[in-house]
Amino acid sequence: MMGIAYAVLVLSSLSGYAVSAQTVTSTNDLAFGNIFPGVPKAIVKSSVGDAAEFTVTGTTGAEVTLDFTLPAYMYTTGANMPLFFSSSDCAVDSTNPQDQSNPSANNLNPNGTITYRIGSNGMSVWLGGRVVPGLVQKSGSYTATIRLTVAYTGF
Amino acid sequence: MKSLRALRLSRKIMMLTGTILILSFGFSLAQDAATGSATATVQTIITVTATQALAFGNVFQGVSKTVGDNVDASSGIFTITGQAGAGVNLQMILPDYMALADGSDRMTITFSTTDAAVDTNGATPSTVVAGDGWVDQNPRVLPAAAVVGAANTAIYLGGKVTPTSDQAAGAYSADIVLLVAYDGT
Repeated sequence: MMGIAYAVLVLSSLSGYAVSAQTVTSTNDLAFGNIFPGVPKAIVKSSVGDAAEFTVTGTTGAEVTLDFTLPAYMYTTGANMPLFFSSSDCAVDSTNPQDQSNPSANNLNPNGTITYRIGSNGMSVWLGGRVVPGLVQKSGSYTATIRLTVAYTGF
Repeated sequence: MKSLRALRLSRKIMMLTGTILILSFGFSLAQDAATGSATATVQTIITVTATQALAFGNVFQGVSKTVGDNVDASSGIFTITGQAGAGVNLQMILPDYMALADGSDRMTITFSTTDAAVDTNGATPSTVVAGDGWVDQNPRVLPAAAVVGAANTAIYLGGKVTPTSDQAAGAYSADIVLLVAYDGT
């Protein structure tokens, strides 16, 4: 009976340390809107509705890594257009409520791994960028894929 | 026996505990990924064409001649095409002289501050009015608010030549350059 009691105690203890799986969701695309040939256009990370936004959920206080897979070009049929991300094009906020105009971590480099902790209301990640159309850039709708991978560090 | 059963049950529970521990550890290393998009719509390429030369026709020594920006047959005309409604920067580079092909003589050409019109409404040099765009404009400072018209935008240009009393006879010409670029609006 002592053994059973001990085992139940261990189970109870483990449940206190259980870590919920984190999720990441794309909630807004990086939208450049209309682009004119020969006129570069930048979207800043604080631009609500234009900057890319990802929402991360998971265990409050847990540390996670954020790794972007960023495209070098946007594409349409038969043409591409250069797309750039500077070393300060990303922002993260895990405060509650989250504020895109005043994030808790600003000017982060999306080209490298970003480490941050999930807040009680999760975490939002914003990304800006810049396109540079050529003087004779083919007209049409251009798209590219932006991937964000989130993983617990265990800390 | 009771003690043995308790021991076996205890082992099973501990194995289950270990399994849960492993599962919990597995969750802690799990990752998730989301895919978003970057989107953009590139507008129509802008073009500019010298549709008609600013033609002074016959000019006589010592007699200056003016061609207005409102003469269908002889005003200079540039035609711009692109994304309707898009803002454009217009920069005209004007010559100070016209010259003979062999460069042996040259003739003064001047442009007044009202020698240009910008037509975004499909009019003509002789019919364009302020409601079609901008009239009586300085060709060296064309309107900053110019846009590409629904069909196109035309720039009409006039000017004045002043031949000297001993101007060499012959065909004179000069280049007039219009630079056009989207301003992003």
